[in-house]
Amino acid sequence: MPEVMPDLERGEESKSKSEKEPGYVVICWNDPVNLMIYVTHVFQVVFGWQKSKAEFHMKQVHNLGKSVLVRESLEKAEHFVHQLQKYSLHATMERDE
Amino acid sequence: MKLLRVQNEHYVFRLTVWERKLLAVVLNLYPVIPAAHQTLSKFPATTDKTNQKLLDEALAEHRNENKKLVRAFLADGRRFRETDISSWMTLSAAEIEWLLQVLNDIYVGNWILLGSPDEGKWDITPNEENVRHLGAMQLAQNFQGALLDAVSGP
Repeated sequence: MPEVMPDLERGEESKSKSEKEPGYVVICWNDPVNLMIYVTHVFQVVFGWQKSKAEFHMKQVHNLGKSVLVRESLEKAEHFVHQLQKYSLHATMERDE
Repeated sequence: MKLLRVQNEHYVFRLTVWERKLLAVVLNLYPVIPAAHQTLSKFPATTDKTNQKLLDEALAEHRNENKKLVRAFLADGRRFRETDISSWMTLSAAEIEWLLQVLNDIYVGNWILLGSPDEGKWDITPNEENVRHLGAMQLAQNFQGALLDAVSGP
């Protein structure tokens, strides 16, 4: 019995921990319509990034077709997707596998 | 539309009378993007339907809020100072953000209505059918550009 208890405790810990852990990625996908300056601005506003970091991700979107913007928990990833979609960017969240 | 100055965290723009009328016409087009256009995942079949429904509801609420803001914005006589040949329009940073969202909805929404043409395939021949969408895109983009120039800085 004593050997079992720590496992149960670890199980509970890992459950609550996994809900908070960044298990989702927020992705912005390229589209042929949104202006580069606009995408950079939205990244700065939504994530509070410096212009250089926002431009880096904007160029990834433009050149590679997509950019992984952040890794977050479910709730935070949903929040960021909603914020980006309010600006009409093509943003989604996917499981980080 | 040109930025005149930034004063007490407010941006003062000068518009010609013509531009002010065009801005009102363009903003009244909002919203244009179809309601079910945005998805939570690139692969909707794998998305939890409850989460997708919540996102749809949140975006619908946001569109309704923006519609009210557009109406209030255009009806607010104090926002525009008129002269014979121009208007001075004062905006806070927060107002610029929602105006950017509204204008981009009009810009992207009309692109969708044109059939979402791919990059490099923009050789759309203007005709009586599509000129409305092409014109709305161009106007929304022009106003958006002026706002972005004002807030983006060097």
